[in-house]
Amino acid sequence: MKVVVCVKQIPDPADPGALDPETRTLKRDVKLILDESDSYGVEMALQLVDAAGEGEVILVSMAPNGERSGLATALAMGAASAILISDPELVGSDALTTAKLLATAVKDQGADLIIAGSESSDGYTGVVPEQIAGVLDLPSVTAAKSIEVDGSSIKVQRQTDGGYDDVTCPLPAVVSVTAGVVEPRYPSFKGIMAAKNKPVEEKSAADLGFDASQVGWAGAGQEIIEVTDAPKRQAGEVIEDDGEAFTKIVAYLENMKVI
Amino acid sequence: MAATMFSSSLVDTADHHPELRSSVAGVAGKFGRKYFQDVVKRDAKPTELWEALAESGFLGVHIPTEYGGGGGGMGDYNIVIEETAAQGCPVLSLVIGSITAPIITHHGSEDMKDKWLPGIAAGNLRMSFAITEPDAGTNTHRITTTAKPNGDGWLLSGTKYYTSGVDEADSILVVARSGEADASGRHQLSLFIVAADAPGITCQDIPCVVQAAEKQFTVFFDDVELGPEALIGVEGNGLRQVFAGLNPERIAAAAINNGIARYGLETASQYAQDRVVWNNPIGAHQGVAHPLAAAYIGVQQARLMNARAAELYDAGSEEAGEVANMAKFAAADSSLVALDQSIQTLGGNGLALEYGLADLWFVARLHKTAPVSREMILNFVAQHSLGLPKSY
Repeated sequence: MKVVVCVKQIPDPADPGALDPETRTLKRDVKLILDESDSYGVEMALQLVDAAGEGEVILVSMAPNGERSGLATALAMGAASAILISDPELVGSDALTTAKLLATAVKDQGADLIIAGSESSDGYTGVVPEQIAGVLDLPSVTAAKSIEVDGSSIKVQRQTDGGYDDVTCPLPAVVSVTAGVVEPRYPSFKGIMAAKNKPVEEKSAADLGFDASQVGWAGAGQEIIEVTDAPKRQAGEVIEDDGEAFTKIVAYLENMKVI
Repeated sequence: MAATMFSSSLVDTADHHPELRSSVAGVAGKFGRKYFQDVVKRDAKPTELWEALAESGFLGVHIPTEYGGGGGGMGDYNIVIEETAAQGCPVLSLVIGSITAPIITHHGSEDMKDKWLPGIAAGNLRMSFAITEPDAGTNTHRITTTAKPNGDGWLLSGTKYYTSGVDEADSILVVARSGEADASGRHQLSLFIVAADAPGITCQDIPCVVQAAEKQFTVFFDDVELGPEALIGVEGNGLRQVFAGLNPERIAAAAINNGIARYGLETASQYAQDRVVWNNPIGAHQGVAHPLAAAYIGVQQARLMNARAAELYDAGSEEAGEVANMAKFAAADSSLVALDQSIQTLGGNGLALEYGLADLWFVARLHKTAPVSREMILNFVAQHSLGLPKSY
């Protein structure tokens, strides 16, 4: 079974990020790490290949400056190889362009299944997996909490507000995975050392058949016009305890329909 | 707590080191300080943590791949030990693995390597190391535990002191006198691997203040029968052979202390950010901030020196001994400064078990005394590095 996992390499969320005031986009000229929300997809893919007893996990990523640190993590977890799309022309690419580039890189891999995180932890557009499915004309299942392969189709538990839906879908398909649904493995020492020799194929926009007008700022169909701070959280309600505070707390919780 | 405050780009010497750090921190962080405190309080062993480290191949990073290890070196093992300690889990047994595995790797027979190294890497075989004696502490030449010829093997008799972790050990690597004294009256030393449950061995624990999972023991050997296969390397060559393990031991001890120092400073810095007594966080006061900053610099120096010691050891450099000694010295001193200042920063809470600092004190303090004392390192540096007269 061949599973392609789309992974994003992002600035470390533990370090305060900065926006470029000119472009209103996140500065990405720092060391990048594997987006934690993608580590769930990598783990799920590795488990599926283990369960199938054969096959491999291939990573596809788009990142500036030939950045590979995040790929190294996913390769150390057990992925077999990676395709890295990196090209100065790509700076400013929007979600749809990103999806087209990723889809083009994925297309020739002969994947049975394409997995992605539901949304990245830096951009949060949350549309790229579905756009990849659209570009490749493949079925798309979102918000998966589990995937089970059943011959030439998959059974997916799809997380909803009230619980989950059971979805059956023919392969190949694109599935986006909800963060937190599996426990991503920490790379073993052997995995870390083996990752050094795993192939990472770097591709430019031109390699994928895109010219400069189709990618980056030039090709973007969306524009960030303004960035504003999130509204500050309102101060909470302070209840002074005069011996009867519990009645107010009970009333508050009842009002919230918690109790 | 995932360690992020201490920059490691200063100290990492291989491109896979950041990945290794983050993975060890992740594995050990699933357990953390509270887990470790609980293990010590229950007088138990950190078995779950040990098995998790083993499963990821971290216990054998410094063991060759043909014997089930990771094929790395002390540069990697330094990171494993430091990151584990930095999560509040100073596992002293990891230090023992830094002594035994390199000695067997460098000097053991093929049978010995096959028998012990895969088990040490997998975490299911444990070996203690017995060198110190009641009457021969730092002066290894005065070791009186003796292996007398007995058929094609030996009879081992004598007493060892402060042997860590015998209660968990499958075997004991013993440094003993064997053969006749040379012209200067010095006895040759030899190394043996002795089954921990061999007839004639009795152990008595030495109650210590160190709040660690590993216990200290006096070990009595009373005519313990050893076969020819027990000898490591060449008879009489023990002193030279044992240094294959003693230099890594210094690096490993330093790694524990560097990790403890990081845990202390990270806890204290977070506390100083959050704690407001008047109008500002206490960390805004230079009386609090500067000592922590100075301690951080000291710890980074010690980490840098230790990483370099490990790199020199792995490269087979003659100078690894000097640097490993200095790195252990630097790590012991700087970690005690860092931990003391961390405790001070937390005020009364610095002494509360809830914050997990004060109960690290004697584990850190241990390495000012062991595996080689501060004073003996100064003697070594004075004599060998500065060319001053020998003082003892």
